[in-house]
Amino acid sequence: MMLVTACSLMPLAACASRADVLTFSGSAVGSEGAVVRRQLERFAASHPALPVQIRVTPDAADQRHQLYVQWLNAWTPDPDVLQLDVIWAPEFAAAGWIQPLDGFDQSANDTDFFSAPLRASRWLGHLYAIPWFVDVGMLYWRTDLLAAPPATFDALVAASRDAIANHRVAEGFVWEGARYEGLVAVFLEHLAGFGGRILDDDGRVAVDTPEAIRALTFMRRSIDDVRVVPASVLTWQEEQARFAFQNGRALFMRNWPYAASLMRQPAESAVAGRFAVAALPRDAGSSMPAPGSSDRLLGGSALGGSVLAINARSRHPDAAWAVVRYLTDPEQMLERARVVGQLPTRRSLYDGDRLGGLLPIAPAEARRLIDRAIPRPVTPIYTQLSGILQIHLHRALTHQEEPGSALSHAANDMRRALAAAGLPGGEL
Amino acid sequence: MTSGSSTALERRETRLAWRLMVPALGLLALVAAAPLVATGWESLHRHDVRLPWLGRPFVGFANYRQAFHDDRFVTALEHTVVFTAVSVTLELSFGLAFALALDALARGRAVARVVLLLPWALPTVVAALVWRFLFEGQSGIVNATLVWSGLAPREWLAGSFSAWVPIVFGDVWKSTPFVALLLLAGLQGIDASLYEAARLDGAGSWLRFVEITLPLLRPALVVALAFRALDAFRVFDLVYVLTGGGPGAATEVVSLYAFTTLLQDLQFGYASALAMLVFLMSFMLALFCIPRLRVSVAPDR
Repeated sequence: MMLVTACSLMPLAACASRADVLTFSGSAVGSEGAVVRRQLERFAASHPALPVQIRVTPDAADQRHQLYVQWLNAWTPDPDVLQLDVIWAPEFAAAGWIQPLDGFDQSANDTDFFSAPLRASRWLGHLYAIPWFVDVGMLYWRTDLLAAPPATFDALVAASRDAIANHRVAEGFVWEGARYEGLVAVFLEHLAGFGGRILDDDGRVAVDTPEAIRALTFMRRSIDDVRVVPASVLTWQEEQARFAFQNGRALFMRNWPYAASLMRQPAESAVAGRFAVAALPRDAGSSMPAPGSSDRLLGGSALGGSVLAINARSRHPDAAWAVVRYLTDPEQMLERARVVGQLPTRRSLYDGDRLGGLLPIAPAEARRLIDRAIPRPVTPIYTQLSGILQIHLHRALTHQEEPGSALSHAANDMRRALAAAGLPGGEL
Repeated sequence: MTSGSSTALERRETRLAWRLMVPALGLLALVAAAPLVATGWESLHRHDVRLPWLGRPFVGFANYRQAFHDDRFVTALEHTVVFTAVSVTLELSFGLAFALALDALARGRAVARVVLLLPWALPTVVAALVWRFLFEGQSGIVNATLVWSGLAPREWLAGSFSAWVPIVFGDVWKSTPFVALLLLAGLQGIDASLYEAARLDGAGSWLRFVEITLPLLRPALVVALAFRALDAFRVFDLVYVLTGGGPGAATEVVSLYAFTTLLQDLQFGYASALAMLVFLMSFMLALFCIPRLRVSVAPDR
């Protein structure tokens, strides 16, 4: 502890004499890897005292989670800076693996960030992470086959059946339905479209409400009854859905913003220049909060994205904080938006024209989507709750269980897990 | 006098033997016993890494009681037992057939043996990825073949029964060679004159197989059974890569559930209890098999 303090009070050069490096871990493949490497090189050039290295971690979220658990539970001081999925922040904070950031100079931060990712970065009143980029679930649709995106599930189904019947596409709507975190995001969006939530306003489990049963029943019926969603989605993650849409096989796709910039490359994409992005549809009969009733953006998007946190055992917390601040400053966010199409977490960047043409949708629309996006429950046992939900959703979708019974089992198991952890929301 | 010195010598020899065994025993204690004891001790605590404020209270056997009231664990245990029974039965049957065929082969046995070993040499994860590729989606080779022969394709990995097909297939494909080679060695150890004598006595090929081959092959069969059953009971990588335990939890096995409880749910105490249960059950299986390994090679009839 003394060493760390001494180190942090001295100029960085004094610490670097111990031949240390500052390590960053996160997505390091493809253009996402290239942009972060470039940004860290620029950071290192302006902070020559401490070399910065990237620790490559798996891109699959659950595998990265496992690796982080192994590292952090062993109290390794390295990596110093961690890219966390927004849903992990409370868990890592509660476990004492990442450090509260309140002690650092917050002047450059705070006020400008979207509130939902910032709320998800807090635990017990302390800030533990800085939102890096946001993801929101979106409806990709084919502009060459449709005049306008559907606002309701009924319209989506009708348009899909029509396009399939006319042999314009093989599939109507594709989404991520494998038993993994993506399925929870897709369910949450259907649920929002039917007016439901995973946890209600008081933090109580609400996945066994009539809205939830209707949402899951709709998802299942769209696969094997109205047949607008292929049964293959039950083994698909984001990339398989993207391939299907990119090859022109589907009329609609639910996916995160990253898919847009990849599908705009004509060399790889059969739909380059022939797709657009809109808000997800909703159920016509369900009342959704609709501020500004004229806009079409009424469905609910799941809020995803990444936050940056500092290892609680980092030997260079101040340098790590400098990296976090550098990566989350407006210019670097704009560069990320430009290169990989990721949505910045700072609201002010959506003003004016700075993001114009960089995002799959107009900046003002994107900001509205993010403002209404629905975070997944902010709790240290989120991965466990999600695991329970994934199993029962998947059981219902693969006809091992009826939607109503699957959701009531899921709700009971989730309540039991919350109660066992002594967390609120476990009351039956 | 003589007998006294002999006992002293014996004692000295025994002491020397123990001293010589100390390094091996120490190593064994370090790599096998220590982690086991640590896991066992951890399993007697409620330890949830996500909830450090709960501390790490000693709870006795509460985690074990919880396991047997945990539907997910009990179901996973059922899956594991059925998987073990089915795949080991298939492996022993196919392995025996291959071994008999190889034994009958007049030439080319060495080449055949190498070819047979290929699936065994491939890392399980790689093999599982290949199987997944073959079974996944409408354009996978399995579905393409079904369509080509006029049958309806299916989502293999999304069916609670059909998802087992690539798993069992993968395990049988990988492990049959191992069984076959083990049994081939057993077959080649059988004295050919026994068959000759039986033939002179007028025994047909079936009778020779049942009366000579099977009894004399029993030690090799038991070894193969023990190895395969222990391995299959602890199956992890194949299921992890092929289905991840899905659809739903239809192909979840005990090792996978213990792994999920540890690394996804971070319930270290409970996960340790699950790991101990997997260990204890494998251990009992081994205890059951070991006495049966010491079968006399000559039929005692």
